[in-house]
Amino acid sequence: MQQTKGHALEVRLSAYIDGEVGEAERTELEALLARDEDAKALFEKLKAGSRFGDTAFEDFLHDPVPLALVRQIKQGPGVSPKTERVTATAASVRNVRIWPRVLAASVALVLLGGSAGFIIGAANNVGEPAQVAAARGWLDDIADYHRVYSRQKEHLVEVPASEAPKIETWLASSVGVPFKIPQLGGKGLTFEGARLLVANGKPVAQLVYRSAEGEIFAICFLKNTTGPQSDNFDESIRDDLGMVSWQRGGASFVLVGPSAHVGMQDIAEAAAATI
Amino acid sequence: MRPAAETKDFRRDLVSLLPKLRRFAMTLTRNANDADDLVQEACERAITRSHLWNGEGRLESWIYAMTRNLWVDEIRKRKVRAGSGTVDALGQDELSIAPSAEKAVYANQLQKMILSMPEGLASVFLLVNVEGHSYRETADILGIPIGTVMSRLSTARLRLAALISENTERRA
Repeated sequence: MQQTKGHALEVRLSAYIDGEVGEAERTELEALLARDEDAKALFEKLKAGSRFGDTAFEDFLHDPVPLALVRQIKQGPGVSPKTERVTATAASVRNVRIWPRVLAASVALVLLGGSAGFIIGAANNVGEPAQVAAARGWLDDIADYHRVYSRQKEHLVEVPASEAPKIETWLASSVGVPFKIPQLGGKGLTFEGARLLVANGKPVAQLVYRSAEGEIFAICFLKNTTGPQSDNFDESIRDDLGMVSWQRGGASFVLVGPSAHVGMQDIAEAAAATI
Repeated sequence: MRPAAETKDFRRDLVSLLPKLRRFAMTLTRNANDADDLVQEACERAITRSHLWNGEGRLESWIYAMTRNLWVDEIRKRKVRAGSGTVDALGQDELSIAPSAEKAVYANQLQKMILSMPEGLASVFLLVNVEGHSYRETADILGIPIGTVMSRLSTARLRLAALISENTERRA
């Protein structure tokens, strides 16, 4: 217990909130709060600050942790987080990087409007931010789904792996993306089955796998003909989940699994090669 | 030599601590890049010194103190590099706003507001109010007297209370 006598009243009340004052001081401060409105108002202000700070600090835990850092800790030296920093999922970072491009695109469209017409330029300006939001939103939904479904022991999937041909037909027609179920036994994953999800208002196929240790992984994809087509694999971490996303053949894909798993990129590459 | 399985467990514990460790580092550095570098360095040091961890108390307290020491060293090096000579970072009582805090950009407005608080306030608030460390533990982690913990904590709470109306105005 701390001796707070002689300190400013806000310091004493703050220590009282934390239970860091002795019995005699606690009694004294409680008596003060009962009779002094100013002291009570100060006390309420301190408590309000505590609540507000709690909420704000909770948000920090949702920031992505550099994937390479997780790998380095798990595997030891050999990977340099400084050269492999992953910040792709931070909404703020995306906002910073993408909006200038959107703005630049908007300016270009307006300039083109001299010959092609202002209306066309304006229409494209409206469309671009919507695509940015869509690209950001579906991964958020996938992460949320994975947290819920991966804990479902009896109902992990909607259609079991034994109906693989049916899954391919059903999801290809539902999502609009032809595919083959990747066999990832070489990566230690067994195909468990599939689900149809809705992410960011679009149908999404989810192929679910389980590792020998019982960890759940999923490959999710949706039709996306408007996004940039690239063979790059973008890695990110959202709390307990690791995500590796890529674009191919008019579709967006993402592998989602435990963030501490060190082979996410390898699994993603194997899946991308066969899906 | 520490057994391999034990080292693996330590690394696993360290990974599970990363979000919290990064949050603590953010309160020290007040920008994400410095925080990530600091966390990396702290983890490397923790792994090489894991044989010194006796398993008693909270692992995060041990690593937090290590992280804070590394940051104090880094600040000292930066000041020397900047030509301002050596400084006793531990003895700095003056609270100041780091320029980097103003440059940092975060999606979450609340985070920005938290990180814009004067130096030293956010760390104390996080350790005591959010993570439930005692005043003694907090003082040990941050290397400051308990009296400083107490005064910074009450100042932080009042600052945060003032930010509530600021936050409400921004959202309106």
